[in-house]
Amino acid sequence: MRTLIAAGLLLATAISPVVAQEGKLVLYTSQPNTDAQATADAFMAKYPGIAVEWVRDGTPKIMAKFRAELEAGAPQADVLLIADAVTMEGLKAEGLLLNFPEAKAEGIDPSLIDEDGAYFATKLITTGIVYNSAATAIPAGWADLVKPEYKDQLAMPSPLTSGAALIHAVTLTGNLAEGWDYYSALAANGAQASGGNGDVLTAVSGGEKLYGMIVDYLPIREAAKGAPVKFVFPSEGVSAVTEPVAILASAQNTDNAKLFVDFLLSQEGQQLASDMGYVPARADIALPAGYPARADIKVLGYDAAAALANETANKEQFSEIFGQ
Amino acid sequence: MPAVLVLFAVGVLAVLPLGRLVTAALVHDGVFDATLLIQRLARGATQRAILNTLDTSFFGALLALAIGAPFAFLIALTDMPWRRMQGFLLLLPLMIAPQVTALAWMHLLGPSSALLGALGMAPPPGTANPLLGRGGIIALFGVQHAPIVFITLRAGLALVPRDYVEAARSAGSGPLAVVWRIILPLLRPYLIAAVALAFVSGVGNFGIPALLGMPQNYLTLATLIYQQLASNGPAVLPQVAVLSLLIGVIALVGVGVQVAALRGGGFAMGRGMPVRFGLGRWRWPLAMGGLAVIGFMLFLPLVALVATSLVPAYGVPLSLSTLTGDNYVEVLVRQASTARAFFNSGYLSLLAAALLAVLAVPMALGLARLRPGLRQVTNGALELPYALPGIVLAIACILLFLRPLPLLGSLYATPWIILVAYLMRFAALALKPVDVALAQIPPNLLEAAAASGAGPLRRLVTIAAPLVAPASAAGALLVFMSAFNELTVSALLWSSRNETLGVILFSLEEAGLSTQAAAIAVVTVGVVVVLLLVLDRLGRRLPAGTLPWR
Repeated sequence: MRTLIAAGLLLATAISPVVAQEGKLVLYTSQPNTDAQATADAFMAKYPGIAVEWVRDGTPKIMAKFRAELEAGAPQADVLLIADAVTMEGLKAEGLLLNFPEAKAEGIDPSLIDEDGAYFATKLITTGIVYNSAATAIPAGWADLVKPEYKDQLAMPSPLTSGAALIHAVTLTGNLAEGWDYYSALAANGAQASGGNGDVLTAVSGGEKLYGMIVDYLPIREAAKGAPVKFVFPSEGVSAVTEPVAILASAQNTDNAKLFVDFLLSQEGQQLASDMGYVPARADIALPAGYPARADIKVLGYDAAAALANETANKEQFSEIFGQ
Repeated sequence: MPAVLVLFAVGVLAVLPLGRLVTAALVHDGVFDATLLIQRLARGATQRAILNTLDTSFFGALLALAIGAPFAFLIALTDMPWRRMQGFLLLLPLMIAPQVTALAWMHLLGPSSALLGALGMAPPPGTANPLLGRGGIIALFGVQHAPIVFITLRAGLALVPRDYVEAARSAGSGPLAVVWRIILPLLRPYLIAAVALAFVSGVGNFGIPALLGMPQNYLTLATLIYQQLASNGPAVLPQVAVLSLLIGVIALVGVGVQVAALRGGGFAMGRGMPVRFGLGRWRWPLAMGGLAVIGFMLFLPLVALVATSLVPAYGVPLSLSTLTGDNYVEVLVRQASTARAFFNSGYLSLLAAALLAVLAVPMALGLARLRPGLRQVTNGALELPYALPGIVLAIACILLFLRPLPLLGSLYATPWIILVAYLMRFAALALKPVDVALAQIPPNLLEAAAASGAGPLRRLVTIAAPLVAPASAAGALLVFMSAFNELTVSALLWSSRNETLGVILFSLEEAGLSTQAAAIAVVTVGVVVVLLLVLDRLGRRLPAGTLPWR
């Protein structure tokens, strides 16, 4: 009898799904509030038993919060969905990420995925130029921004506040012939570097500055809502971050976290990213309205390993140039 | 026994956090060591932040004096029509969160201002918002802290002895000469105290320099601390402890000036009927002028805020075709985090208010039992967490509660760290009305009860508590409003699921979602106005002096 019960129990465990589809999931993200909510809602619609709780802040700030919690011995997050792969690489090196090599990542360019499955690109977020429709000079490339007609009119995010802005600085200084001198020229031309991409959007759509360096989706999406802004893919090319997702080694809800990662990488999750106005990571999903064809977006490369090794030096160089 | 309890409460609420901060900044490995302090002071960023803090707070305080003093004179000393209403309206800026004030004014004066645009007066595109940077911070410190000047001066004016004024009048002096030669000299301690208080409030203000200074990298000590901690995490705690010690010292100098100015205050003569000057044919023009200033200071920015909250994207002009309620739906219904913030701010403020309302009565009784010298020191200690900038207290709380404590565990990353910080910060606010009310209970009432054999607890429950209940309710409402709108403390203490309204508003604005931030701001202002009206009704049953505007 006892063996029968044991066998029955065994059978019951065997046929029940491998992962639990209930409980909760804590997401730390740098997505704007609206997108964080839309992502959580779509996931919860698919898995009604799982309650997603999310916290949103700029990448450096959300990381500071995570580290404070780690210090207090109470890390809250299960999943990170933040701007850039360099930060993820650093976390991976510290052993803070969980490898998830069995993630369902077919259809995503292998170059966008960590080889150990520690983190996965979910979209491409490029940084280009935004201008207010009242502007008379229309910029075509990065080189324009140091010209006299752009004097005191450029807002840019600070790498000290935004993960995407740090990669952007590394990419531009690595690809443009002038290197860091380009940033010195911007500073000399009165460019204001502070805050995150949201602050740049506010300044340009509010007409306080006419131009800005900014991630693509913010102005493209706000322009669709009627805001007086337009986005330019500069002729020299754009920098890009991949908004990677990763499961933390300290996660309390690992199974739900795996479901979440698979969801973001699935056709459905990628279509959601496109619907929200992002360039999806999967090549088989169409780009949202307002973007050129995928092949026409020229993405500049950067050395991620060097970026990680030189993170502090890069930030200091930037602070030095902009007097912060 | 009550005295011991009070000393214990003050130890936990005030001495413990501030003591921890001082040791974190100045004691390393068990020995006094000022190298970190000196290193930090040597940095250009620190020096700039100190200078900016002193500069904006000082000139902000002078501006607050320029705005608040005329109102105090007109409302306290004259027969200007609609005095009471103007006094009430003038207190609103104090109750509105500084970050909301900053947001409202930015929407009023920027190039995309819906109001200025409609008048064809908006600055051309490409013009920086005139409020960004030093000038704007000073201007809004002036607006935000004018009520403090107003309350302080009016308290002083209410005590000016009528006899002096009447003597001068009968000797033939005109009203202006009386104000200049009699009232102003008598009022000097209050003038100094008012400016000092406004200065201290500026030193501790985070919301205004955060929205107006940080976008231009114009940092005060409060925003420098926030920026350092936000982008570096707990690794820089000792550094920011040093910075908050600096803020604390600057604020303490201000508090010291205020206390010194009012020491031995009160006038030789007792208070009689307050002085009233007839304004004659100037009555109505002055009343209209007062209303116009209040309208400009309060209503125009609020209207601008409402206008921004009603358009689909920042920068879109408001018209019938662009009008939308979508931002309200988004923040109130769709976004889990904002809905949660309303709940969190609500219950944390309510808990803090309720706990302090209950604690205030025995604490006030215990305080009354202390020797006068000890009582003064205890009172002063209790007021420190309220007088010192919120960011100082927040750092102290992180230092106290980050590492797990025996029995409690780590409070960091729980809502309780915010609640504890609120209790520390607002204890003085809850205690004051109860203290005032308690002083007005005739002592023979309690003595009679004691003589008939009622023990201390029974006296507390049957005599003191019922008599001071309205005052403790008023104190609780003040605590609730302050906590509900608060940003400085929670900006550093919030965690997943424990975001407060102030934090959410700031975060939405930073994410570029200004229209949604405006919608949240409008709702919080609505809540505060309703609560103030409740408090005002309650005020009719309270002894004079309990509520600042009655």
